[in-house]
Amino acid sequence: VVSGVGAVSGFGWGVEALWQGLHAGATAIRRLRRFDPTPHRTHLAAEVPLPAPAGAPGGGDRRLSLADRFALAAAVEALAAAGLAPPDRPRPAAERARQPAARESVEQGIGEGAVGVYFGSSTGGMWESEGFLAGLLGGPRRTLHTLAAQQVNGPGDAVARALGVTGPVATVSSACASGALAIGAALAALRTGEIEVALAGGADSLCQLTYAGFNALRAVDEGPCRPFQSGRGGMSVGEGAAVLVLEPLARALARGVTPLAVLAGAGATCDAHHMTAPEPGGAGAALAIAAALADAGLGPGDIDFVNAHGTGTPLNDTAEWRALAEVFGARAASLPVTATKAGVGHLLGSSGALEAVVTVLSLARGELHPVPRGAAAVDPACPVALVVDRPLRLPAARAAVSTSLAFGGANAALVLARPAATAA
Amino acid sequence: MSRAVVVTGLGTAGAYGCGRAALERALAAGEVPAPAEIDRSGGYHRRPGARRLLLAPMTALAPWLPPAEARRMSPPSRLAVAAARMALAEAAIAPEEVAGPATAVVIATSFGPSSFSEALVRQVLTEGPEAASPYYFTESVANAAAAQIAISCAARGANLTLCQREAGALLALGRGAAEVAAGRADRALVGAVDEIAPLTHALLDRFGGLARRRPDRAEAAAARQGERAAGGGEVGRPFDRRRNGVVAAQGATVLLLETEEAAWRAGRRPLARILGWGSAFDPSAPPSGWGRGAAQLGRAMRRLLARCAPELAVDGKLTSREDGEGGSAIGGPATGVGASDGPATGVAAGDGPATGVSASDGPAIAALRAIDRIVSGAAGTRAGDRLEAQVLHAAWDGLPLPPVLVPKGVTGEYGGGFLGALVLAAAGAPFGPAAGFGEPDPALGLAPHDGGPLPAPRLLLASSLAAGGAAAWVVLGAP
Repeated sequence: VVSGVGAVSGFGWGVEALWQGLHAGATAIRRLRRFDPTPHRTHLAAEVPLPAPAGAPGGGDRRLSLADRFALAAAVEALAAAGLAPPDRPRPAAERARQPAARESVEQGIGEGAVGVYFGSSTGGMWESEGFLAGLLGGPRRTLHTLAAQQVNGPGDAVARALGVTGPVATVSSACASGALAIGAALAALRTGEIEVALAGGADSLCQLTYAGFNALRAVDEGPCRPFQSGRGGMSVGEGAAVLVLEPLARALARGVTPLAVLAGAGATCDAHHMTAPEPGGAGAALAIAAALADAGLGPGDIDFVNAHGTGTPLNDTAEWRALAEVFGARAASLPVTATKAGVGHLLGSSGALEAVVTVLSLARGELHPVPRGAAAVDPACPVALVVDRPLRLPAARAAVSTSLAFGGANAALVLARPAATAA
Repeated sequence: MSRAVVVTGLGTAGAYGCGRAALERALAAGEVPAPAEIDRSGGYHRRPGARRLLLAPMTALAPWLPPAEARRMSPPSRLAVAAARMALAEAAIAPEEVAGPATAVVIATSFGPSSFSEALVRQVLTEGPEAASPYYFTESVANAAAAQIAISCAARGANLTLCQREAGALLALGRGAAEVAAGRADRALVGAVDEIAPLTHALLDRFGGLARRRPDRAEAAAARQGERAAGGGEVGRPFDRRRNGVVAAQGATVLLLETEEAAWRAGRRPLARILGWGSAFDPSAPPSGWGRGAAQLGRAMRRLLARCAPELAVDGKLTSREDGEGGSAIGGPATGVGASDGPATGVAAGDGPATGVSASDGPAIAALRAIDRIVSGAAGTRAGDRLEAQVLHAAWDGLPLPPVLVPKGVTGEYGGGFLGALVLAAAGAPFGPAAGFGEPDPALGLAPHDGGPLPAPRLLLASSLAAGGAAAWVVLGAP
């Protein structure tokens, strides 16, 4: 089950900031300030507000990248929600100097090696690497410590290091499906009994490489992205992190924690079609959804809404609609669809994790967030039942699908359910 | 569902050449391939510093990857696709036969297509963002190699790229095996690919990770006698007293995994059986260094072995391993057998007492005693090799270590070479003297196998610890 969630997004630090922003139909996509967007073709992004709130974990560790800090904040929030947060104990000065972000081990009371960290990231500490390279090319010099955590596995490792995790730690870097694939990997490890508790999620920060790269592909909308809508012109780049605490139901209940949702199934496939373009018919995505449903032991009729990948690129949204039509048949046109990227942009390697968190919140709160106010009409080429204008009450929603479709054709789908739905 | 998983194909490209036979020859000879000189013109490097690396010959990939295809790919994608095709060819499977959703792809990479990332960032910083090449961007993602493998043979199953530094290759092998064992895929193309761009090389050097030229008296004497010193003195010396870093390497290995039943049904002779896999993390490790958690990692290794003991066909009884093969422990006690012998290696594990032995350790101890070969990921770093030795001692906890093979002395530091070598070791391929090794380090309490003849192993443990704290292990069985 999912016993806790945490998030950092363009709406701010924490799950409540995320939910309130989405629920209000707002968007965090604004003019970019992290670096000068003027020479770029587009000028918007969904940036996490900085500086971090006072007391945010990892603030004193210069070796942490921005993505690491996002990851750590989301992980600590998720653990707290699950009633598993380790105390931020007073530690000797020498240890603080060596590991400023470290806390007491989260494994206390669970078992050595019984907690695993499964993270998705696309670029890790690329933002810091760019600063270092700029220094080598004549810009302001940066010290080597800024590069210590530049690796893609930086965010997952930083979480494990700070929380004293001694179980498996694995970073998936499969572009925009990374976060969802990492959650699927965590589910597999829980089922085999390799671990008792998983911290699963993803983190990525804005950087010039991805901003310029997606612009070079002409895949970025000049305005805020408009998933599934007529006239959409592409994605909006975002940043942030999201983490889910996953554990067996009995373990959560024994602690007196009411599960937020059940991670019922995961599926993964590949289009094997093109490096950047999705398979136009959505066959690979449909297979991933079908695999996730089969893994969950549910059928299409058990699904009450979809949190779509919904990037806002003309090709992705059309392919995704065809995938939904393939799986859900005639129901596809009336199945409620939310598109979280319209509010927080595309979090790349962490988007699947953040959208899984939003799906959990939607199930737990019985409500789907709308796309931001002022949405255009839904494109007839991808006629999903998009939630627009105001939140959609779905208090009886039983289960939902969250999709992630990536560069290189990697597809991932997660099935999340209300605890009562699976208990029945 | 849990199905027996075997390796039936191995494709590889490294400085040793292309194909399984090339790697086999290099390992048997225990010779370091001729190194290349890193391009230092980017201005990233400090002087003096490491200058060498081991490069796969990209032009030799042509039989596997026509230039018209290669021109659309980054170096890691080219290497990985070529290696995947070699693996399929070795298993006598046409690419069309693996097309479809039953074929998964799991690839590990430490730094991804770093030359393309570097070129793209450089374009943005020096020429402006509008100069950014969409081609560079498309192939700069870490999963480019896995995606290109899938495209090349229409593999529509799960497609994962794992980034966990030196532990990535074994994590990928375990994950691919899990996909097949659980029935989520019928086969998996699993591998590791690494590219060493000038910037990556320079950064590894700045962090003190690369072997540098520092000839000592013995080396100078050896040179006078005509002994070749690879890399002009930049030598990866796993477990050697004089080790001072790794030799970075570029290449790829891809394995074909399938169920044992399918392999035999099709008449394909397995190279190795995959019997268990597991991983752990040492939170005491700094982001780019090595920690002090040897005892904790040793316990994790034992838990893995206990978990997969049923697969190893051992029953928990303490049976005597057939010795006489020349174990690798030096300076420590020889043959502790009883469960009460306790830690006795003489090598401090770093984070407190080692494992302690209890009755519940029976399956793990039986598994440890059944393992007759270790393939270690030690590559010549001071702290990394020390930690590796401590972890092995902590896990074995006084029991004699089986012979330890250290292929990274030959392949250089890249996951693919290690992956290929451990499968060949399981298949009984001969290993020559440990390249780069000459002087035991008394602080480690172990020495790599000296190259003498060994019987084919029955059970092999592969161990790889990563800078930053990750650790992964895989247990392979003879075919």
